[in-house]
Amino acid sequence: MMRALSIAWKDTVHVYRDFAGLAMMFIAPLVLATVLGAAFGSGDNFSIAAAKTVVVDQDAGAGAGMPAAGATLVAALQSPEVGDLLTVTEVDSPEAAREAVDSGDAAVAVIIPPGLSDALTGTAPGKAEIEIYKDPALTVGPSIAEAVAESVVQSFNGSRAAAAAAARLAVAQGLTGNAQIADIATKTAAVVAMEARDDAQITLEQRNPVVAGAEKEKRPNVASQVLVGMMLFFMLFGASVPARSVLDEHRNGTLSRLFTTPTRRGVILGGKFIAVFVVVLVQAIILMLAGWLLFKADWGEPGPVTALLVCSALVAASLGLVTVSFAKTPGQAGAVSSAIFVFLGLVSGNFTGTIVTSGPFATVRRVSPIGWLMEGWSKVLYGGSWASIALPVLVTLGFAVVLFAVSVFFFRRRYA
Amino acid sequence: MGAIEVEGLRKHFDPPKGPVAVADVSFQIEEGEIFSLLGSNGAGKTTTISILSCLLKPDSGEARVGGFSVTREPEKVKALIGVVPQDIALYDDMTGRENLLFWGRMYGMSGSTLSKRVDEVLELIGLLDRQKDRLGKYSGGMKRRVNIGAALLHNPRFLYLDEPTVGIDPQSRRSILDKVKDLNAAGVTILYTTHYMEEAQELSHRIGIMDQGTLIALGTQDELVRLVGEQTRIDLALDRDAEILAGRWRDLPGVSSISDPEDGRLFLSTDDANTLMPRLFESARAADARITEISLAEPNLEMVFLHLTGRALRD
Repeated sequence: MMRALSIAWKDTVHVYRDFAGLAMMFIAPLVLATVLGAAFGSGDNFSIAAAKTVVVDQDAGAGAGMPAAGATLVAALQSPEVGDLLTVTEVDSPEAAREAVDSGDAAVAVIIPPGLSDALTGTAPGKAEIEIYKDPALTVGPSIAEAVAESVVQSFNGSRAAAAAAARLAVAQGLTGNAQIADIATKTAAVVAMEARDDAQITLEQRNPVVAGAEKEKRPNVASQVLVGMMLFFMLFGASVPARSVLDEHRNGTLSRLFTTPTRRGVILGGKFIAVFVVVLVQAIILMLAGWLLFKADWGEPGPVTALLVCSALVAASLGLVTVSFAKTPGQAGAVSSAIFVFLGLVSGNFTGTIVTSGPFATVRRVSPIGWLMEGWSKVLYGGSWASIALPVLVTLGFAVVLFAVSVFFFRRRYA
Repeated sequence: MGAIEVEGLRKHFDPPKGPVAVADVSFQIEEGEIFSLLGSNGAGKTTTISILSCLLKPDSGEARVGGFSVTREPEKVKALIGVVPQDIALYDDMTGRENLLFWGRMYGMSGSTLSKRVDEVLELIGLLDRQKDRLGKYSGGMKRRVNIGAALLHNPRFLYLDEPTVGIDPQSRRSILDKVKDLNAAGVTILYTTHYMEEAQELSHRIGIMDQGTLIALGTQDELVRLVGEQTRIDLALDRDAEILAGRWRDLPGVSSISDPEDGRLFLSTDDANTLMPRLFESARAADARITEISLAEPNLEMVFLHLTGRALRD
């Protein structure tokens, strides 16, 4: 055992004295995570820059005591609920609004026509059109402004339909005067519109999947969802660096020299496996700490997280050794390993994080041990406990044993 | 019974088309002896030493080291031997001391015993003051010395050195040869391979000459030299047409053997130098060439090799 640990220590020291290897293990995933963090923000929500929106309200209202539809729409666009998404500025004319978009000063212009309230209450003939003038190169910002405007318009149309229904009811009850019916319809529309805005009866609530065995429903933050995929992916590369030491030693003659000592070949390979395991375990711990410190990643319950961490390191170490066992030179091993790891990353969903939790893809990725690890991590991030990760843990341990056995077989055959 | 016994050793790589690296090689090495295998590149020296190191399994034949079979009891053999490979097999990113500590552990050593032994070996190889420098900063000669030191940590009964002086400066070579003699004086049995005739002559109690996988001669230096008879060696240098003249002289009466020219220099063996030398001058003059240097010497191992194979040792 002491000899295996000596080999492991030597290989570990070798890794930590190799700057290129360290860069691949630590700097690359952290840089990627930083880029992703800049894109998605840290903490619990995605962060998107607010879209500059200009609005022209030409609507004068439908009459005394009646709310102006244009003002309602402007208020919706300026509401605190969308304050992080839209920065709204009012301008005087449609031309000025369009000019702001054309010059790039605004992403979208919302142009409210003069007769919007009249069209809504039916006090004037014809229809009104709200114009959404947007930069065609942009999608997210204008879409938000458009969605807000559309929801207000739908609210108006709903109010109008309710008013029409009220009017028909009035006629059915014998109120036949045109002036009375028009007055009922207008007031009903106004009331419905106000109530719909102030006291909505139907609301939307965002919920996340509830994991079987979860102790509590939990909403994972974006950082941890993205980082876990990156961490597992780069653990594979981290494993391949010390795993390649077998081929490096073969090329440098030190492996042959080791074979002339009374140290058995199984001990030599065992020592190398320990080195790979330790290196990727340390790599994962450092990446998780960095994710926690830099991106406020929340990893979940310590116990299940530790179990998955160990499984991840075992799988990465076994995969690192098995991919190297097929290669003849360090260069060939690097190319073969990279191709296999990228394929596994794609199949396992490392680049989409743990967001995919169901559907065909979630089934397909179970062909890969990394896919099982992603599933396990996903459950932990959603608050899963020991029970929820039992299957992923068992399956990944099985993969690790089989992969290690395969690498032992190939190494023994090569160096018999 | 010899301390190392080799009997009918044969190794054929990638049969049937591959080369026969070792063909029916047999010899014995006595306890406390320096035994050299002398031969040009590809003669089978390294293959033989690899089999005796338990790195390669022979196709047939048997080898016993310290009474243990290299094929059936490799772990016991490995505990007795120290192997200095032909190429430097160490870790450049580790210090000299770290390298020695690591290799010592591979021989089952640990703790203060190992640390003390590493100090002794560092002193022996003269690198005590550079022990904390990474190996990558060492000169070629210093690396060679660490390469040898790593094989000495466990006080091996048998030390194999496979061409340990290739590519190093004369001073380092001198140092290594002296260390080998010191180790032998301390009781270590040494198997040494080389293609440098001078090293084999200086170090060896007995020498085995290998050529194309076969042991073609075996004995002490005197015994081997007697194989060429009462001959004299003539070394000479020509200012031109050495290849042409060597071809002509090969058939000249009195020439027993002649080496291939290298940089205008060649040597030949004869049993009558007084008669032959005027013929050589005459032949050179006829070819409009000039002999710029000529000297007579006693027969040596190189001459033996030429006599036995028809080729110079450096080939």
